[in-house]
Amino acid sequence: MPIFKLCLKIFRKNWSSIGVFLVIFVSLSCIFAFSYSQSSLSKGFTQERAKVALISKEKTPLTEGFRMALAKNADFVTLPDQTEKMQDALFFRKVTYILVIPKGFTKDALNDGTMKMEKRVVPGSAENAYIDSIVRQYWHLATVYAAHEPNLSETQIADHVKRDLSTSTPVVMHDQHAASADSNFITGYFNFVAYGLTIVMIVGIAAVFIVLNRQDINRRIICSPIHSISVNLQIFLAIIIFALFCWTGFSGLGIFLNLKNQITAPIGYYLLNSVVFTLCLSSISYLIGNLVSNRQALSAIANVIGLGSAFLSGAFVPQELMNQTVLKIASFTPTYWYVTANNRIAGLGAGNWAETKSILNDMAIVLAFAVAFLILSLVIGKRRRMYA
Amino acid sequence: MTIVETQNLVKRYGDLVALDHLSLEVKEGEIFGLLGPNGSGKSTSLNCILSLLSFDKGEVKIFGKTMKPDAYSIKRNIGIVMQNVAVFDELTVYENIDYFCSLYVPDKKQRKQLVDEAIDFVELGEFRKFYPKKLSGGLLRRLNIACGIAHQPKLIILDEPTVAVDPQSRNKILEGIKQLHKQGATIIYTSHYMEEVEQICTQIVIIDKGRVIASGTKEELKAMISMGEKITVETFSISSDQMTALRRLPGVITAEYADERLVIKSEKETNNLAAVLDFFKNESITFGRIYSELPTLNDVFLEITGKQLRD
Amino acid sequence: MFLQLFRYRLKCLLRDRLLIFWTLVFPILLGTFFNMAFMNLNNDEKFEPISAALVTGGGANDAIFEQTVHQMSLGKDRLFNLKTTASKHQADQWLKKGKIKGYFTDGPLIRLYVQETGISQSIMKTFADHYRQNSSAFADIAKANPEAIQKGLLDDLSQQRNSVKEVNTGGAKPNNVLNYFYTLIAMACLYGSFWGNKEVCDTQADLSSRAARLNLAPVHKLKLFLAGCCADLLIIYGEILILLAFLHFILGIDFGTRTGLVLLTAWIGSMLGLTFGTFVSAITRKGENLKFAVLTAVTMAGCFLAGMMIGDMKYLVAEYVPALAWLNPANLLTDAFYSLYYYDSLNRYLINLAMIAVFTIVFGFGTYLMIRRRKYANL
Repeated sequence: MPIFKLCLKIFRKNWSSIGVFLVIFVSLSCIFAFSYSQSSLSKGFTQERAKVALISKEKTPLTEGFRMALAKNADFVTLPDQTEKMQDALFFRKVTYILVIPKGFTKDALNDGTMKMEKRVVPGSAENAYIDSIVRQYWHLATVYAAHEPNLSETQIADHVKRDLSTSTPVVMHDQHAASADSNFITGYFNFVAYGLTIVMIVGIAAVFIVLNRQDINRRIICSPIHSISVNLQIFLAIIIFALFCWTGFSGLGIFLNLKNQITAPIGYYLLNSVVFTLCLSSISYLIGNLVSNRQALSAIANVIGLGSAFLSGAFVPQELMNQTVLKIASFTPTYWYVTANNRIAGLGAGNWAETKSILNDMAIVLAFAVAFLILSLVIGKRRRMYA
Repeated sequence: MTIVETQNLVKRYGDLVALDHLSLEVKEGEIFGLLGPNGSGKSTSLNCILSLLSFDKGEVKIFGKTMKPDAYSIKRNIGIVMQNVAVFDELTVYENIDYFCSLYVPDKKQRKQLVDEAIDFVELGEFRKFYPKKLSGGLLRRLNIACGIAHQPKLIILDEPTVAVDPQSRNKILEGIKQLHKQGATIIYTSHYMEEVEQICTQIVIIDKGRVIASGTKEELKAMISMGEKITVETFSISSDQMTALRRLPGVITAEYADERLVIKSEKETNNLAAVLDFFKNESITFGRIYSELPTLNDVFLEITGKQLRD
Repeated sequence: MFLQLFRYRLKCLLRDRLLIFWTLVFPILLGTFFNMAFMNLNNDEKFEPISAALVTGGGANDAIFEQTVHQMSLGKDRLFNLKTTASKHQADQWLKKGKIKGYFTDGPLIRLYVQETGISQSIMKTFADHYRQNSSAFADIAKANPEAIQKGLLDDLSQQRNSVKEVNTGGAKPNNVLNYFYTLIAMACLYGSFWGNKEVCDTQADLSSRAARLNLAPVHKLKLFLAGCCADLLIIYGEILILLAFLHFILGIDFGTRTGLVLLTAWIGSMLGLTFGTFVSAITRKGENLKFAVLTAVTMAGCFLAGMMIGDMKYLVAEYVPALAWLNPANLLTDAFYSLYYYDSLNRYLINLAMIAVFTIVFGFGTYLMIRRRKYANL
């Protein structure tokens, strides 16, 4: 199997250029894993606490009651009332919510006035929504009491509001698994892998074709007494070995990084999904290898395809946060379906057949992409050889 | 007048002694050939002469002045053609020559004329707008030469300018060097092709392992060795007795038989061709071609060092 | 002479298509990707109604709750896309199939059933909480002061007044998405190092044969090098300006109001990129691949830590390894742009700029020390 051996040799020779990228990717993944353990990324409402700075320029029974009510959902950070210090704190996320109660606010609010508290926030942090609603509800109730029970003193109003706020709706959660952090990490990791795997596969595999498709070498292979089917099979075999190697490496790293978390996530599904995706990447790389003849251009193309598909398909930014039109465009890439399947796996309940079916459906689409790219590259490869 | 003079140059790479007390002298108007096998220190000595490489001991003088990296008045009068093609892939043929020339000749008008002359000289006229990537090996070498000589220097140093060049381009290059010489330039030429050196050089130095092993004109060099004639006979079989008999012929230094080829080397002023023919006739040995040659530089090298010039 | 060298160098560099791709086209493409991926990240206000269900039935229905829920499911600004059913089993089925995010059960005690935690579920809980709190207040007031009901107690309770307003100090809203684009500019600046690398490779005789050839010309090496660097700088700065223009005019990225300072930062960033490249190229000995690898790795790692791939990374670094934030050129550049956008005062900006300048000087001086040598021990 001379051509098979040649392919493996080229893979090995390319190791240095892929190696650099791998080192970057592995270290990024490690930091990624580390950062997951540092910040709880679950956006659940179960007593999510926000870092709040409350600067009250007056001290009334209501402001104190308010502080206590807020304390249930907030970790207070002390900040001086200086613009730049506040900006700094928000900039470096020392706090995500700064509330300033102006002097005379209590009196004004109870008299149905128009004075307002001032907030400065870090946008897009989920916790802020609760803080907002707590703040509004507290002063809302206080105003209603003041309007309809005018005899109450401020202290009494504070007591009444406190009592009202103490009730809470019981929540029944059907499945607990979805919120577990490990499933979050492993999903995030496998989504992230879409980027790394794409680049490594394209650079690795297409580099072989750049060598094999060089006119002189290509002609020499055609003239050799090896059947063209055998040539193709040997090349396929080499690609499969390389793909398997990459896949083992990437998923192995993921499982290793996930060791510290308890494995409750259905790892098998993630692995199956990534195998299918790797297969698809092999056929994409085969196509690119047949189209590109310049090694330096290859790395450019690999990066653009890798980053582009990863960004558009939500491998970095969660899909639910993305624009619908962008996602529609992304659905023309296999990466989108791979990521969608990963996200579905994350939400997979035990024995949830309907969900399993849609996951398999996504994988089937990725497979269809693989077949399409393969056919396309076989056609192009054939034309190329005929006119070479 | 001495153009280049080195005295006792020593250059070490760690334990390896690349130049071992190398002393050279190049006189005005010479085509000075530096001949030696690969790795003998030809390029190293040139780089030391040009102050590109630091050396451990010795002295280099060019045009009678000590050569230093900032000796710009000396550099202005030197033209260099490096062993590796040193041109910019991003510039066209014309732009490359113009650029390198501009480092020596700031005046635009004057330069334009010089560049045109250089292009004519290497016959790249129809490739002016080509990028180096589109040129074949021989054309590229010619561009490399044009970049080195466009400013019409007094001293031209060519470091193996004909490596990996087709015969046609090679002849053009050699003709060109002769022409430059005729125009009054002193030329230092390194090569491991002895035929080239024999063909064009007026003064030859053979170096090996960083040492000068012989120097002089080619006639002087050939006179140095004891061999005067080399007779080669193509024959299919010859016995060891017959070999012994051959070696006993008057004036024969060595007789070797290998690969169906018998080589007999004789001393000067002997003419053994007739004797060898007689011997073959008497022994009734059949043979194909038979020819007699004068010694080449390779023989000079072989006799002094005991090894072939070319591997 | 200098001009001549500069012009040729410029010509030479502009024809290097590969480098132009990495330093100009690539950042622009990446910016486009960012823009598409983050399109929705900053307009949280745009609210999609939540699919929810209400299970009626059981004996003691809370008519007011039902009415409130229905009210919230009407009109354009509705909170819920509501389904109603009498069967809890049916609601469970919906929940399982993902047709609804959660459902309320009616009765004396309102309950919320969900399958997972998330924003929508929390909003549903908050909604129910407020209803309970309001009805608790209603009961309280109605008992103490029954005529309040006639005075519009119910209306007052159901209309929450907004007692908070958001203020932006300095006129700029904090904006997380901007940080991604600012890291992108930092990346483009640091990719400028590729030009610096090329410059060193073309003047250090032990790195390329054409550099060796240039060393033999009667021109001072530093002059040659500086002419080249000027050409590099012009190209890097030009590319950064094109990138800035693209980000600002086509993608609509906000850089604040201090245009002059933004351009200055871009200039200093270009200098930083150039000297970074010359420095790395000068200290890593032979091997073009190695040089590229080091430059790419340092740039990408720096940008990662500055939050280019994961926005929170920046804050983790600032919290746990603050020194790293100050030693990361990518982070310094990112912060410089953000400070310009975000702060009124220039204090933070100037500190960042000073740090970048220090880096540039260190890199530049380091390069000088490495390349001033005129003779080589090895070629």
